[in-house]
Amino acid sequence: MKKLSKLIRSRELPVFFALALVYFGTGFANPQFFTVTVVNDIFLGVAIVAVLAVAQTFVLVMRHIDLSVGSVIGFTAFMIGDLSSQGYPLIVVLSAALLIGAAVGAVNGYLVAYLRLPSLVVTLATMYVVRGIFNEVAKGQTIVESDVPEELNWLGLNRFFGVPYLFIIGIILMLVAGFVMYRVRAARDLYAIGSNAAAAELVGIPVNRRVFFAFLATGAISGLAGAVMLARFNSASTNSGLGLELVVIAACVVGGVTIAGGAGTVYGAVIGAILLQEILLAIGALGIPQFWQLAVNGILIIAAIGLDRYLSTRVKSTSIMGNK
Amino acid sequence: MSFSQQPILEMRKAAKAFGGVQALAGADLTLYPGEIHALLGENGAGKSTLLKALAGVHKIDSGSIVLNGKNFEQGSTRLARDQGIAVIYQEPSLFPDLTLAENVFVGRQLSKAGFVDWKAMEEEAQKLFAQLGVQLSAGRRARGLSIADQQIVEIAKALSINAQVIIMDEPTAALSSKEVERLFSVARNLKEQNCSVVFVSHRLDEVFALCQRVTVMRDGATVGTDLISNIDENKIIKMMVGREVSELFPKQPAELGDVVLKVENLGQAGQFTGINFEVRKGEIVGLAGLVGSGRSEIVRAIFGIDKYDTGSVFLNGKSLARGSASKAMDAGIAFVPEDRRQQGLLMPYSISTNTAITVLKKLSRAFLIRAKKEKEVAITWGQTLQLKYTSVEDAVEKLSGGNQQKVVLGKWFATNPELLIVDEPTRGIDVGTKSEVHKLLSQKVQQGLAVIMVSSELPEVLGMSDRIIVMREGRQTAILNREDATPEKVIALATGAVSAK
Amino acid sequence: MANFSLPKIQLSWDKGVVLFLVLAIFIGSFSSEYFATASNLSFVIASIAEIAIIATAMTYLIIAGEIDLSVASMMSLSSASIGFAFREGLPFEIAILIGLAVGLAAGLFNGILVTFFGLPSLAVTIATLALYRGLCWVLLENKPVNQLPEFWISLGFRNIPNTFLPWSTIPLVILAAAAWVVLHHTKTGRWVFAIGINPEAAKFSGVPVNRVKLGLFAYSGLMSGVAGVIYTLRFASASPDGGVGYELSVIAAVLFGGVAIAGGVGTMWGVLAAVVSLGVMRSGLQLVGFSANALLIVSGGLLLISVILPKVTEFVRIRNSRASTPKIKQKNEEKKYE
Repeated sequence: MKKLSKLIRSRELPVFFALALVYFGTGFANPQFFTVTVVNDIFLGVAIVAVLAVAQTFVLVMRHIDLSVGSVIGFTAFMIGDLSSQGYPLIVVLSAALLIGAAVGAVNGYLVAYLRLPSLVVTLATMYVVRGIFNEVAKGQTIVESDVPEELNWLGLNRFFGVPYLFIIGIILMLVAGFVMYRVRAARDLYAIGSNAAAAELVGIPVNRRVFFAFLATGAISGLAGAVMLARFNSASTNSGLGLELVVIAACVVGGVTIAGGAGTVYGAVIGAILLQEILLAIGALGIPQFWQLAVNGILIIAAIGLDRYLSTRVKSTSIMGNK
Repeated sequence: MSFSQQPILEMRKAAKAFGGVQALAGADLTLYPGEIHALLGENGAGKSTLLKALAGVHKIDSGSIVLNGKNFEQGSTRLARDQGIAVIYQEPSLFPDLTLAENVFVGRQLSKAGFVDWKAMEEEAQKLFAQLGVQLSAGRRARGLSIADQQIVEIAKALSINAQVIIMDEPTAALSSKEVERLFSVARNLKEQNCSVVFVSHRLDEVFALCQRVTVMRDGATVGTDLISNIDENKIIKMMVGREVSELFPKQPAELGDVVLKVENLGQAGQFTGINFEVRKGEIVGLAGLVGSGRSEIVRAIFGIDKYDTGSVFLNGKSLARGSASKAMDAGIAFVPEDRRQQGLLMPYSISTNTAITVLKKLSRAFLIRAKKEKEVAITWGQTLQLKYTSVEDAVEKLSGGNQQKVVLGKWFATNPELLIVDEPTRGIDVGTKSEVHKLLSQKVQQGLAVIMVSSELPEVLGMSDRIIVMREGRQTAILNREDATPEKVIALATGAVSAK
Repeated sequence: MANFSLPKIQLSWDKGVVLFLVLAIFIGSFSSEYFATASNLSFVIASIAEIAIIATAMTYLIIAGEIDLSVASMMSLSSASIGFAFREGLPFEIAILIGLAVGLAAGLFNGILVTFFGLPSLAVTIATLALYRGLCWVLLENKPVNQLPEFWISLGFRNIPNTFLPWSTIPLVILAAAAWVVLHHTKTGRWVFAIGINPEAAKFSGVPVNRVKLGLFAYSGLMSGVAGVIYTLRFASASPDGGVGYELSVIAAVLFGGVAIAGGVGTMWGVLAAVVSLGVMRSGLQLVGFSANALLIVSGGLLLISVILPKVTEFVRIRNSRASTPKIKQKNEEKKYE
C-alpha cells in the first residue's frame, strides 16, 4: 500500500500520465495511431535522445547542466565512421568514442568542480569548441553507409521480438543508471549536492569529486552514444547533433528532472524523451502541420517548469503563532 | 542525578576576538552527562560564539576545551561531529528533496553488500523517531517540514552518530507551545540516554521547566553557574543585565510634536497581531522583545517590504499603501534593516554608490545622474557621521562594522525622512561608534525626526527610548514610559515570566 | 568617467578588451590587404549589427542576475512576423511595426513568467527559445518570404551615401549610445546593478525589483525585434531558421566584454568592444583563409577565458590576503537564475 502511495506521488507519474493521454487521445481521433508501426517509430526515434537524457540526469540533479552533449555525440558518431572506414576494429573505435566523450567530460568537470565556474557557461563554451574541432577534423567530409561498421548497421536495422535493438540499448542503460542512482552511495550524494550544496559540504560530502565524476560520466556516455546515432542514421556529418542538447534538456525537464536540482530520475528522463517523440508523431497523426512540433515542445517545458514550481511552493512551514 | 561523575565537557577561560571586537573574554562551561544545561545571556553576551567554537566553526584564541578527558580538536565542523558534538540550529539546514531517513544518514547511508539499503535506513530512522517519542514518517521528503520537525530530524541525526553533547541554539524561538512541549520531552529523552544537552534560550519559564543547571554569560564571559534549584529568576536577570543602565546612552530630551506615524490594529498571519501605537516628532519608540517576537516583521510590514493582512498605517494622517517600499520612501519613511551585510548595503560597491542609492532622483537632472553630486552626498554624510575612510570610492566591504553602519545611516538620512525605522542600530559595533550613533539619533530627534528603534540590547532600549513597546510572540504586551521602565520589567514582559511586577 | 566606482579587476578587464580590439584591428590589417578596406569594414559592421543590438539588452539582464536564451528565437520570430504580415498583404512599413511589437510581446511574456510566476529565467528562456522558434515555423512553414520591397532591401545592402557605413549603423549607434548612458548614468542603471549584486538589499533600498526585471526582459524582446528587422533587410528574406545560435554569440560577447555571469558587474563599453573585436576577428580570420569554424573554436575559447580568468585572479587574491577571518562563502552562482 505504501509503495502504491509513493508511486502516486512520484514525479514520474504526471509524465507517464501525459504519455498515456497523448497516446489514447491521438488514437481516439485517428485510430491509425494505434498501429504497431507507430509504436516502433517512437521507440526507434527516441533511442538517441533517451540515452543522452539518462546521461544529462547525472548533472541536472546536481543543479548543473551540460550543453556540450550535442557536439560530443556528433563528433564521436563521425569518428566512429571515420576510424572504422580506415580499418580499425570495432572495439578500438568504440573505445576512442568513449575516450573523446570522457575527455570533454573531464574538462567540463574540472572547470565546474574545481574552478567553481558556472556549468552553463562552461558547457556552452565547450559546445562551441568541440563543434569547432569536429569541423576541423572532418574537413567537410560525410560518413556514408559504407563507412559504418557492420555491427552498428545491423543493430540499427534489426529488432528483438519487434522492439528495435537501439531502443533496448537505451532501456538497458536506463535500468543500469537507474539502479546506480538509487543504490550506489556515491550517486546519492549527487542528489544531496543538488538539494543543498552548502549543507552537503558541511556534512562532509566530497562535493568536488562527485561533480567532476558526474560530468565525466555524462561526457563518456554521450561519447559512446555516437555509436547509437551512427547506427540509427547510417551516416554522420558536421551537422550531426546540432541542437540536440536542447531536446535532451526538454526531455529531462518534462520528465521531472528539475533544473533546480535534487530530484528526478533517469526513468522520468526517458519517459520525457518518449513523450516528446510521441508528440512528434501525434502531431502528424492529428493532421496538425509538422511545423508545430517545436512550439509544442516549448509549451511543454513551460508547463513542466510551472508545475514543478507550483508543487514545490505549495508546502509551507508552520509559524510562531501556529498551533496555539 | 548527581554531579559527582566526571564532566563530559570542560571549557575554561575561552577567549576569541573578531577584528576589534572581543566576542569571548573568559568563558567557562562545564557539562555533565545526563543533564540539560541552560546557557543564558543577552544578545552580544557571547553565547553564539561559544557555541560556534564547540561546533567547530571557530577556533578560540586562548583557553582550553576538554571533551571526554581529551583535548577537543577545533576548527572543523566535521571533526566536531566526529568527536561527538552536534548542534541543532534555530533554522536547521536539511536537504528538502531527500527523505527524512536519507537526511538522517546523509553521506553515511546504511549499506548492504555495498549498495544502499533503503529498508534498513528507513527502519533505523523510524526507530530513532520512535525513540525520541515523535510521530514522523521516515519515508517522506523533507520539503515542507515545519521547523519543529526539522529540528527533530537533526536530533535524530545527532543520535545516529552517537553524539554525547547536543547543543540546541534557541530552538523554541519559532515553535508553538505544543511543539515546545514535544521538544522538551525529546530533550528529557536524550537526558535519559545520558546525553548532555545544552539549551540556549531567552525564555526563562522554559529554562526553569526543563533544565537542571544554568550558566549565565555577559560581555563575553561567564558570570555565574548554578543549579536551577538554587536560583531564581531575579538572580538570573541581575546576572544577565549586571550594570547600571541610565548613564551609558544619553538621549537628550526633545520637544514632542505631532503624531507622524499611527499604526492601527496591524496584523500579519503567523507573525503578529493587534499592533497599535503612535510615534510623534521628537520621540524614539523602542520595540523590545525576544528574538522571534515579531518586532522586525512589524517594522518590515510598515515599510512595505512585507505585506500585512489586517489593519492600517497612517503617515501624517494619510493612509499609507501596504507592500511598497518605494511608496513608503516617497512618503518620508527611512528603514535601516537588521542585517547590514545582506540587506543594508551593496557590499562590493563604493561608499558613494551606497550612500546615493536612495536619493538618485534628487541627484539627477533630466534623468542623468550628476557625478559630482553623488560624491558630495557621500562626503557630506561621511563628515556628519564621522565616517573613517580613505576615499568615497572605496568599497564598503573594506570598512569596519561600525563604519558600515554609518554608511547605512548616511544613505537613509540623505532622504531627509520624517520617520526613521532602525532595526538593531548598533549590533556588532564597537563601543565608541555605538555612542556616536546614539548621539546622532538623539540630535536628529531633537530636530524633529520620529524614530522607531528595534533593539535586543536592553541598555540601548532603556537608554534611548522615550517609550518602550514590549513584544512577546507576536503580541504587544505593554507600552512602558521611560520613567517606569526597568530591565527586570522589560525582560519579565518579554519572557512572560510570572513575576511581572 | 567612472563616477560609479568599479572594482579594480573590472576596470582592468575592460581595458583588456579594448586593448584586444586594438590588437585585433592591428593584426588584421597585417593579415590581409583587404582587411582595412572600406568594403570590408562595412561588411564587418553589418555583420555585427544584430548581435551588438541584442547584446546591449543582454548586458542589462546579465548584470541584473538573469539571462535570456531566447533572443535569437525572438529575433527570428520578429523577422518571420514581418515576412508573414507582408505576405498577407500589409504594407511593409506596418509589417516592420508588427515585427517590433512581436519582439516586445515575446520579451514581456518571458518577463511575466519570471517576475509574476517566479520561474527561473534560465529554464524559462530555454523553453521560449523552443516556443518562439517553433512559432516561426508555424508562421512561415518552410516557405521563406523573399519578395521584399526594393527600397527596404537596398537599405539592407547599401551604405549611407558618401560613407562606408551600412544603414544599420544608425540604429546601432543610437541604441548603443542610449544603452550606455542609461546603464552608467541614470537611476535605472544603478538599480540594475544593485539588483544584480544583491537583490535583497536592493529591495530594502526601495528598488522595485520585479518591475525593473520585467522591463529588462521586455527591452530584450524589443531589441531582438529591432535586430530581426535589420536581419530581414540584410538577408532580404524572412525565413524560419534565421539566426540559429545567435544567442550564444551574444552571451559570449557579453561575458568576454567583462560582464560577470553572477551579476552586478560589467560595462557597456566592454561589451561593445567585445562585439566589435569578435567581428573584426572573424573578418581577419576569414580573409586569411580560416574557416568560420576556427572562429567557433576561438569564440568558445574566449568564453572560457572570460570566466576562468576572474576566478583565477580571485583565488590568487584570497590566497594572498591569508584571511584569519572565516572562509569567504562562494556565492552559489547557478542560483542566480533561480
